[in-house]
Amino acid sequence: MPTSTRVLFPRMPRGPRQERRYLERPRQQGLLQRAIVEAFRKLDPRLAVANPVMFVVWCGTVLCLALTIEPRLLDAAAGARERGFNALISLTLLATLLFANFAEALAEGRGKAQADALRRTQARTQARRQLPDGSIELVDSSALRRGDVVLVQGGDVIPADGEVIAGVASVDESAITGESAPVLKEAGSDVAGSVTGGTRILSDQLTLRISADPGKGFIDRMIALVEGAERSKTPNEIALTVLLAVLTQVFLIAVATLSPVAGFLQKPPSVVTLVALLVALIPTTIGGLLSAIGIAGMDRVAQFNVIATSGRAVEACGDVNTLVLDKTGTITLGNRLAEEFLPVGGYSSAELAVVAYGASCFDQTPEGRSIVRLAEKLGAALPFEPASASGIDFSARTRMSGSDSADGIEFRKGAVDAIKGFVRSRGGVVPDQLDQCFEQVSRLGGTPLAVCRGAELYGVIYLKDIIKPGIRERFDQLRRMGIRTVMLTGDNPITAGVIAREAGVDDFIAEATPEDKIAVIQQEQKLGKLVAMTGDGSNDAPALAQANVGVAMNSGTQAAKEAANMVDLDSDPTKLIDIVTIGKQLLITRGALTTFSIANDIAKYFAILPALFAGVGLQALNVMRLASPQSAILSAMVFNALIIPALVPLALKGVKFRPLSAEQLLRRNLLVYGAGGVVAPFIGIKLIDLAIGALRLI
Amino acid sequence: MMTRLLHIRFWLPLLIVAGTLVLAPLFRSAQPPLQSYALALLLCCTAAISVYLFAVIAQPEKF
Repeated sequence: MPTSTRVLFPRMPRGPRQERRYLERPRQQGLLQRAIVEAFRKLDPRLAVANPVMFVVWCGTVLCLALTIEPRLLDAAAGARERGFNALISLTLLATLLFANFAEALAEGRGKAQADALRRTQARTQARRQLPDGSIELVDSSALRRGDVVLVQGGDVIPADGEVIAGVASVDESAITGESAPVLKEAGSDVAGSVTGGTRILSDQLTLRISADPGKGFIDRMIALVEGAERSKTPNEIALTVLLAVLTQVFLIAVATLSPVAGFLQKPPSVVTLVALLVALIPTTIGGLLSAIGIAGMDRVAQFNVIATSGRAVEACGDVNTLVLDKTGTITLGNRLAEEFLPVGGYSSAELAVVAYGASCFDQTPEGRSIVRLAEKLGAALPFEPASASGIDFSARTRMSGSDSADGIEFRKGAVDAIKGFVRSRGGVVPDQLDQCFEQVSRLGGTPLAVCRGAELYGVIYLKDIIKPGIRERFDQLRRMGIRTVMLTGDNPITAGVIAREAGVDDFIAEATPEDKIAVIQQEQKLGKLVAMTGDGSNDAPALAQANVGVAMNSGTQAAKEAANMVDLDSDPTKLIDIVTIGKQLLITRGALTTFSIANDIAKYFAILPALFAGVGLQALNVMRLASPQSAILSAMVFNALIIPALVPLALKGVKFRPLSAEQLLRRNLLVYGAGGVVAPFIGIKLIDLAIGALRLI
Repeated sequence: MMTRLLHIRFWLPLLIVAGTLVLAPLFRSAQPPLQSYALALLLCCTAAISVYLFAVIAQPEKF
């Protein structure tokens, strides 16, 4: 049914995106300082133990430092002249640890800066609490509890999250959304009935029922999320952690058993050299950047003014196979406007306009208001006294709305078949011409609304639907990525088919009820697919909870926000496509850096192994012609350390996203990051070796 | 008390020290006492890291 109040977004005209100031970028200098301090703090072994690869590096660093202080600690025959080399290796290992910690701290720092900005909106304030006897008492906002009733008026800061139970007012939500335009809040509305603590009421008065205890409000949860307090490893991260731990274990055993083998060759390598070999072989690059990539993914989502409840949600976006999208507001521009009146049954356009006016005078949706405007433009006047009439709200069951005048005349508008049924139930006759009008409007991709006055059918209103510019290209991109799009609409099958064809969605469900949403999601999930959807109303909450990625609109109800795993602060359903792109980018970045990290091993192997067995005929393996065994080891270690900060920007920004299929992405990944990971260290290590020689470090 | 006894922080250092004391004599023929104990300690710590890595592989979500 076209006039669903669920599609009403009661926002004033928006300012441009640049005006939004939520999630303002923290000053770079402050961020860097904080990250540097955190990098040192994360050297604490209790924190380091969380990352198996870097913990092994940490242990190696401690061992090398001990051997720098006392070179003969493990071998009485070792000379004091090894101290300098040991010190250089120790410093390089320490730098490797600090660079990895810095990458993680930098990614976390962005979230903490955002949390600070949010915390500033949480100033304690006085609230007017209404007592059961109707009297008002002034209390501190921290004393409010769920279920309390408070009054707020123009100029007040809303003391806590709540549902509007009376009144209509403009609210400035820029503290959380960055949107400077005020938002209309009113009682009884599904999408405008909730307010967030910390926002400011600009005019009029609202009566609120508090919906969250202190510390459990929306902003509190947002702070916890962006700070990473609730961050747990995602399934993909867990799988990668296991892979990295397995590789580390294999190389640890290989290096530990190398010493007896080398002893057999009468060339036992020093322990520092073995530590260097181990660190060069284990995947330190991805080990050091793994958590930073995940945190940065959440940060990128936050930059879109979307709050993800967990990294798992962002990552799930990357695996999404099916997008379930509402037509209105997502595929088409939210506000459908009345374009034309098409009379039937011998009535004139003017007569139809009068009845349409009567049926729409209580309808405050953009569609309803546009019908009133068109009727007034045609010179129509309201056929009854509005004060004595009553409005009939739209419902998904009746699929119609209207008004009843004081003398009992029923003015209705709604879905054509619903109005047909209404007219017949009142003993009226449905003109054949109605079906022609219905088809005519539907084939234009518009929404036909039938209009009647009691048992008399007057005609059809043509509501024009405009497809968002560029949406077809977005769907083409999604298709290339293997994502299927399903459009859900309350419209009739002909209109839905026309819009689906023009927008380029893969499938559509017409005349959909809220229950259909959850049915579609369950059906897709049974086929093993991951589903993403958006929603705003309370009736969307079960589907949001069922979907693998549920994005609730900030303008939506509390129930929808609690059921979803993401909240879009701008209430823009189209963003679901952007979020999916970010999720894909996160996974691609992780894959690319893992490939690069493992491919790095080849060059480091060729640098360190000949050095390890110098003098036993392995010189042929010194393909890079490195100056000396010690220089070769140090060069490989320096490269190993420097590659981490060099890749930090890529880890935080993400690999450039290209809408390709999984196979194409894998091929490209192997070519760019696999081949690059093999070649880059050969060049890097050789250059570092030349620099070490020039600087006479060894 | 029981929880503390079961905690890895409690028994791991004990195990490493015990292992060092057991293994040190193996190196005594080739190295002086200090180096023997240091090598035994290194061996025990390497084994501990290996066990830790197995623990990560078995229960990655805890790390």
